[in-house]
Amino acid sequence: MKNKNKKKWYILFTVPLLIIFTTVVIIPFLIGIYYSFFEWDGIAANAKEFVGLDNFVQLAGDERFRESAWLTILFTVLSVVTINAIGLAFALLVTSKIKSANAARTMLFMPYLIGGLILGYIWQFVFLDVFTLLGEVTGLDQIFFNWLIDPEFALFGLVFVFTWQMAGYIMIIYIAGLQGIPNDVIEASKIDGASPWQRFIRITLPLLMPALTISLFLTLSSAFKIYDVNLSLTGGGPANATELFAMNIYNEIFGSGNYGLGQAKAIVFFLIVAAITLTQVYITKKREVEM
Amino acid sequence: MRRTLDFLKAALLLVLALFFLSPIYIIIVNSFKDRQELYDNPLTLPDSFSFQYYVEAMDKMNFLSAFGNSLYITIVSVVLIVILSSMTAWMLVRTDDKLSMVIFMVFIATMLIPFQTLMMPLMQFMSTLTNTLNIPMYNTLEGLIFMNIGFHSSLSVFLYHGFIKSIPITLEEAATIDGASKFGVFWRIIFPMLKPITATVMILNVISIWNDFLLPSLTLIDTDLRTIPLSTFYFFGEFTIQWNLAMAGLTLTIIPVVIFYALAQKHIIKGIGEGAVK
Amino acid sequence: MTFQRKIVGGLVLAPLMLALAACSGGDDNSEGGGESSEQKITIFQSKVEISDQLAAMAEEYTEETGVEVEVLGTTGDDYFQQLQIRLNSEQGPSIFSLQNVTEAERLESYIYDLSSEEYVQHIAPDMELALGEKIVGVPYGVEGFGMIYNKDLVNPEDVADYESFVSTLEKFNAEGINGFSLAQDAYFLIGHISNYPFSIQEDPYGFVEQMNAGEVTAAETPEFQEFADFMVAIKENTPTPLSMTYDQQVGDFAAGKTAMIHQGNWASGILSEFEYDFEIGMLPFPLMGNDKLAVGVGNNWAINSQKDEGEIQAANDFLNWMSTSETGHRYIVEEFGFVPALTNIDAGELDPLSQAVLDATNSGETIPWAQSVYPANIVPNDLTPFAQAFFSEDMTAEEFLQGFDQAWQGAQ
Repeated sequence: MKNKNKKKWYILFTVPLLIIFTTVVIIPFLIGIYYSFFEWDGIAANAKEFVGLDNFVQLAGDERFRESAWLTILFTVLSVVTINAIGLAFALLVTSKIKSANAARTMLFMPYLIGGLILGYIWQFVFLDVFTLLGEVTGLDQIFFNWLIDPEFALFGLVFVFTWQMAGYIMIIYIAGLQGIPNDVIEASKIDGASPWQRFIRITLPLLMPALTISLFLTLSSAFKIYDVNLSLTGGGPANATELFAMNIYNEIFGSGNYGLGQAKAIVFFLIVAAITLTQVYITKKREVEM
Repeated sequence: MRRTLDFLKAALLLVLALFFLSPIYIIIVNSFKDRQELYDNPLTLPDSFSFQYYVEAMDKMNFLSAFGNSLYITIVSVVLIVILSSMTAWMLVRTDDKLSMVIFMVFIATMLIPFQTLMMPLMQFMSTLTNTLNIPMYNTLEGLIFMNIGFHSSLSVFLYHGFIKSIPITLEEAATIDGASKFGVFWRIIFPMLKPITATVMILNVISIWNDFLLPSLTLIDTDLRTIPLSTFYFFGEFTIQWNLAMAGLTLTIIPVVIFYALAQKHIIKGIGEGAVK
Repeated sequence: MTFQRKIVGGLVLAPLMLALAACSGGDDNSEGGGESSEQKITIFQSKVEISDQLAAMAEEYTEETGVEVEVLGTTGDDYFQQLQIRLNSEQGPSIFSLQNVTEAERLESYIYDLSSEEYVQHIAPDMELALGEKIVGVPYGVEGFGMIYNKDLVNPEDVADYESFVSTLEKFNAEGINGFSLAQDAYFLIGHISNYPFSIQEDPYGFVEQMNAGEVTAAETPEFQEFADFMVAIKENTPTPLSMTYDQQVGDFAAGKTAMIHQGNWASGILSEFEYDFEIGMLPFPLMGNDKLAVGVGNNWAINSQKDEGEIQAANDFLNWMSTSETGHRYIVEEFGFVPALTNIDAGELDPLSQAVLDATNSGETIPWAQSVYPANIVPNDLTPFAQAFFSEDMTAEEFLQGFDQAWQGAQ
């Protein structure tokens, strides 16, 4: 009886959302998986030919895809580190009792609102004019030059801009996490004479684990999926040096018109990434301190 | 000593904030310049602060209608997302079994799928729904709201899930013993405690739904259904972009969000000096 | 207790309300009192620049005929993908635009055969979009590209062949002026300029096909060999085009910092937003002494064959009206600012660049656009990365040719 009741509540609480979620995300994803076994150009009226695992075999030998997958992983690792470090630093700064914290929170967050072609315009200008100028003035033209057209540096340019865009966003999650830390714990450690650094390492950081889990995962998933910044800043160039994964798939599907192959790529990469990130979530969840 | 440190912190913050805002400055000043001025120097203040490009942008965007559509879509989507995902997350946390774990992991895993790979099957499936069940998913604001809930629920469930885990279960147990139903417990006891994370979820969703271009561009076909980001398409030609109008349009787009953020963020932050509510 | 009921009710109602609202909002024909004889057509097109004018024209058409025309658009660069998704989900427009034969081939099942329509006879010779024997598209207008030059700085005789072109570049380089500029966008970097070695062949389109089949290579073709030399000379004597935006390119030209830019008559619009005080003209790119402008059609109107008969008829009526009525002509020439590709239209007052294109067309002194038959998306997907590599690394003319061949084969 009681169990039955429990089930009823469970259904009532979860099913409305699950229905919508399944309709919008799961079923289209399954349709996508289905297409990955076909050779098809993505035009509904044109023939779909069942080719089994051919697409998967083909992408194993696709040099450009491998390169793109590697670049994406590199980009993601770099971005996750910089965004979380800076986002956390911001959060610590704007939650300390200083004037202007309120305004600063808003200002630091604003870059996230700028996207698309305008973002590309601004940063292309900054890299081309401001960086070159900095290089001339300081004489450090080894560091300050137009990164975006240099095959070696263009990816770092992307990391730079993506960090600028996301740090304020991730800051919010950390702020919420910091707010969840009970004041009395902090006060107690002060009385015990812990230095600010000890306090941060021993108390704040462990208690921030839930926020860290969320932030890491959010940065991971947005870095893996990055498309907008990639498109408007470098368009994948120069010479494919920054063609990240979403763009590679997009070009395969809508550029070359290989719908099945593009979907196969998406699935392979999804499986790899899901394995990595779910492991990450699982591990950090384990380390969270139960209150 | 203490004061100097605080002062240093404040100064550091200010410098950082200014660095972060410099691109915004570029947007604002260039929304007042014609192409010649923009070419001459994107960094200088404009010759004149006339709002002609704002007026022109508003006129071209049919701003009021677009604003109304955006507002409707954003508010309804976010309210429903908050209600549905908080309830789902709470159930998933409190029912600690395999099924809940699987559901939760599926939610998380889908956050890794690039939207570009979903959009074609999504649109085909929506058109199938429209044709078979006669529910117009296409070209209606409500259909878009439905899809928004689907796409934004993962992140929201994820955030709520993490937060609810840190809430002691004792409170709920006490209420259950008093004979309150699950609904009562959730809405009267739990949901009010979720205020900080609800504010976070609202902020993140409002922003991404308000600024979304791709999904609305695929689902909304009629001109009078356009949202604000959709209506800025006039400024983006294949090769030439009317920067001043585009930047004026962007400024108009983000002002409401910035105001909303400034108001909502206070709910994430405990009042300064206020002790932990325990 | 009542509180609970509210919540339960609300929860059950929310999806229901959505569905209901969706049902009520989704009736297309609920307006106009359900007169089913009312035809409505939709136009989905890719030229953002003419969105407003086209909508105004559609309004005039509605006033004249009572047929409702809705004009839809999207940002300039994602048009084909948007069109593809709409057609796939049965939300296609009645009239859409096609850039070239390659696109037409992909969408063959959706394209209505216009061959028997009366208005297509007005299309200028060789300017129609054809699939085999079928005419499937009516051109927006004619466009041409070449070297837009500053008449104060450049004497046409000084850039009439490879030798003079290179020495002119060197002369400008010594004076601190950029002699010739490409821009960073795919077509402005390599898409348009790569036409010449194909277009000056006897049979340009045939040559592209041979190239696709691997029967000929760039490395062994004289026209390509000289083209490679041109590219090397441009790279050596001018600043890199990779950080050159279209705005910057045209701005530098207007400011007199650049003597020649490789662009088409479409640049008139953006040029008019700059202040400059010299005369401009358009010159052929002198590959193998070529003296003709490259002229073609950038966009064509096509009709969606999947629609019902009534709608197809209505779409045809609209195109017919646009191609033959005085109002339609006025819009094409004055409002859209196109160089007309229809023989029954007199061009109006044209800017100097469009005039140059029109003169070339009228005298027949043109070379075609080979890019119309390039493999689909080869320019952004294969040639552009190659060109970026060329401009950012050390590459000789021989390596350029090899790289070009590789990129071309990579697209097969």
